[in-house]
Amino acid sequence: MDWESRVSYRKAAPMRAEDQARIKDELESRVAQAYTRRTEQGGPRLSEVLEDSLYHERRRLKEDRGSPKREADNHFWDQVQAELRRASETTERTLLRRVARHYTEEIAGNFNPRVYQSVTRALPPALGLLLNAVSPLKLVRKLPELPSIDEQVVIQGEVEHLHRLHDLGTVIMVPTHVSNLDSIIIGYALYRMGLPPFIYGAGLNLFSNPLISFFMHNLGAYTVDRKKQDPFYKDVLKEYATLTLESGYDNIFFPGGTRSRSGSIEMRLKLGLLGTGVSAYVHNLRRGAPQPKIYIVPATLSYQLVLEAETLIDDFLKEVGKSRYIIEDDEFSRPRQVFEFMSKLVSLDSKIHVTVSRGFDPFGNPVDDDGQSHDPCGRVVDTARYTWRNKEPVIDADRDAEYTREVGEQISQSFLKDNVVECTHVVALAVFGLMRARNPRLDVLRLLRTGGSDEDLELTAVYREVERLLNELRAKAQRSEIRLGPSLSGDATEVVTDALARYTSYHNRPAAQRRGDRLVPSDRNLILYYQNRLEGYGLQPFPALTKDHRALSSR
Amino acid sequence: MATRPKMAVIGGGPMGRAIGRILGKLSTPVSIWARRPELRERLRAELPGVEVPAELKAAVEGADLVMFAVPANELELAAKHYGEFATGDQIVLSATRGVGPGFVLPHELIRKQTCIRKIGVLGGPLHARELALGRQINLVVASRFPEVIESVRALIAGAPVALSSSRDVLGVEVAGAIANVASLAAGMSEGLELSDTARGVLLTHGLADAKRLGVALGADEVTFAGLAGVGELIPRNVTSMDRHLEVGRRLAKGETLPSALSAVEGHVEGVATAKAAVERATVLRLKLPLVAAVASVLDQQASPKEALEAVLHLGLELEGRGRARA
Repeated sequence: MDWESRVSYRKAAPMRAEDQARIKDELESRVAQAYTRRTEQGGPRLSEVLEDSLYHERRRLKEDRGSPKREADNHFWDQVQAELRRASETTERTLLRRVARHYTEEIAGNFNPRVYQSVTRALPPALGLLLNAVSPLKLVRKLPELPSIDEQVVIQGEVEHLHRLHDLGTVIMVPTHVSNLDSIIIGYALYRMGLPPFIYGAGLNLFSNPLISFFMHNLGAYTVDRKKQDPFYKDVLKEYATLTLESGYDNIFFPGGTRSRSGSIEMRLKLGLLGTGVSAYVHNLRRGAPQPKIYIVPATLSYQLVLEAETLIDDFLKEVGKSRYIIEDDEFSRPRQVFEFMSKLVSLDSKIHVTVSRGFDPFGNPVDDDGQSHDPCGRVVDTARYTWRNKEPVIDADRDAEYTREVGEQISQSFLKDNVVECTHVVALAVFGLMRARNPRLDVLRLLRTGGSDEDLELTAVYREVERLLNELRAKAQRSEIRLGPSLSGDATEVVTDALARYTSYHNRPAAQRRGDRLVPSDRNLILYYQNRLEGYGLQPFPALTKDHRALSSR
Repeated sequence: MATRPKMAVIGGGPMGRAIGRILGKLSTPVSIWARRPELRERLRAELPGVEVPAELKAAVEGADLVMFAVPANELELAAKHYGEFATGDQIVLSATRGVGPGFVLPHELIRKQTCIRKIGVLGGPLHARELALGRQINLVVASRFPEVIESVRALIAGAPVALSSSRDVLGVEVAGAIANVASLAAGMSEGLELSDTARGVLLTHGLADAKRLGVALGADEVTFAGLAGVGELIPRNVTSMDRHLEVGRRLAKGETLPSALSAVEGHVEGVATAKAAVERATVLRLKLPLVAAVASVLDQQASPKEALEAVLHLGLELEGRGRARA
């Protein structure tokens, strides 16, 4: 298929400045109306909402001393506080609108319509070149040629289907998330597929990273400040995403919320942002939009090696509740390490698979190539009816949350099915399985800490276990329950050799290494990390993750 | 809903008829569909205010609520048929107490055969005869959609019904399904002329089994202490219970299962439920002593006497948060 040659221009319309302005205005009045209505129906008074915002923002500003806009923010909230003290109901409404505007400016502020436009029109150069263009100058001088990893990114799955849905409505792409490289890879994959950039919410912290902030702008990112705990901020954010969808801009939401710390596939998803799909659809129906439909398309990203594996698993293994929601100082923030990682990918011919799954409507029904929804028996469904109350499309937060939960289940299933498993995962699963079987009385955390009774394992035992797993995985792949990567085409011996080579190539300490006819699990945490990718397939008699850890990994 | 919602009932058995009668009295627009023509004739004669169309399509089209009042073994087919005409705005209620093969619960079955999302299940000590006599009844409706509960409230406004609501669809269904199995055991204990205490102990075991299985499947344990759990075990004649009791009694007197089943009117869901529950429990590595005992009698692996006495000799572990420490 020649996706490269068929860039879609119909919807490649860049976010025009007037769209930006209109979205901001509409957002302000929509949020204000919603809150006023809530007050009238016995909900919190506007003054309480504003006091809440003040409280949360003051607290954030006190704690987050590094915030770039600290002074300006403090000044803004001083003003709000002063005016709130003697506010009438009308002033309260005005104040609420001002706070909404304040948040919107930050959310939309980094979105540069001009860059979005230029990226959309002029095709971006190869990924390697893009990386070169943004690498700090010093790095480029020292290492004149950054490897081109174009060849390493394999795009597969329902690409034509995605094109169809993109033409027929607005797409929300929901990828798995293990690395900060994901957004770059997804952006690049969209380009290769001949689709215009999708817009997406990126963490504020990423904008201060020189390497990525360039991409953020190019992908059409808006800003999400995950340090802001104010519920009103979250509503503004959701409304912003809703409005971009209504305006026909395809979006990317990472439904895991944050990078998977454990390395496992996200099974419990953050559904808040995803729920905007239903809201946007209802608004579209109400105003009679010509293409009202919203489609949700999962994309599974699979890496043989993960750039930030060590930091992520360390964070995961911190005592439950002490791990960090936002990590700013990981491998990703070190350009040299990103460079090294990229080089390794190329030299080992390590593939990154982007697998596009079939789409769903915002109610969890599968959709066909004509954008029609189907019930489980294959009958066409009139989706507008899901939104009806007294025959009118309406938004109902409780109802829509349930619809979104159904979508979440479908997404998780797609992730499991389209996960591309590689040698690094299978060998880790085999090694960890053997370690557990030999130390039945140690729980996972103790096993990780002490290593258990044996310092190493006989290679023959590892081969046998890998063999068993390969057989099971091949049977699963036949039933389309998982996908096997190219590194699993050989026999058990080859798979183990390949995995050991890859472990050694990039990480500070390899997950496992060979010593004579023994295999030493040298970094047990990494073993856990890579084996976790195969959690949820029932390949081992006991799950490695405790309930607490599973919960943690998908907060 | 501003006006009285329009209701369609699928199934013309005792439950369907009772509901038709109550709603007819409330002048709620209601239509009932039954598969068998002779049953439709009976419905037309018995319920003059109620529409009884020959085609399912005519019965459900334009309905706000659709209720399944069919036995568990007919639910899949009925749901598939209804799925042809179902629309996403409709609310579907299920009064079925029982499971499909593989312990598939009614709401899962409806979900698999239709486009419907807004599903509610009914539970609690619902008694078709009391319903028909116009006595006050107590009903549990469980749904994850608040809209479903609101609609049921609107539907029964003015009827002698006390409604409790729950979000635990799974728990209410498991409680209702296992209650039938417990009724088979209670019937056996009567047939064996065991003491009233023994009967109570068996029912309590049934409840403990239901809770164990339900919680393993994701239900809320509180449900089993409520109206849908213990609440429907105390009265003796809740909906499906009497025919289950009767079958249990007959088995205890030495009748074969086919002969006992042919002696009662209506489908005895507890039979299939017991088997499916045992299979499911094996996969989940759960012990369900009472359900297993009933299943072994139904399979002719044990006599009622042996099976029940084994259960009566077991201790009943108290589980849950309030567990006393030794």
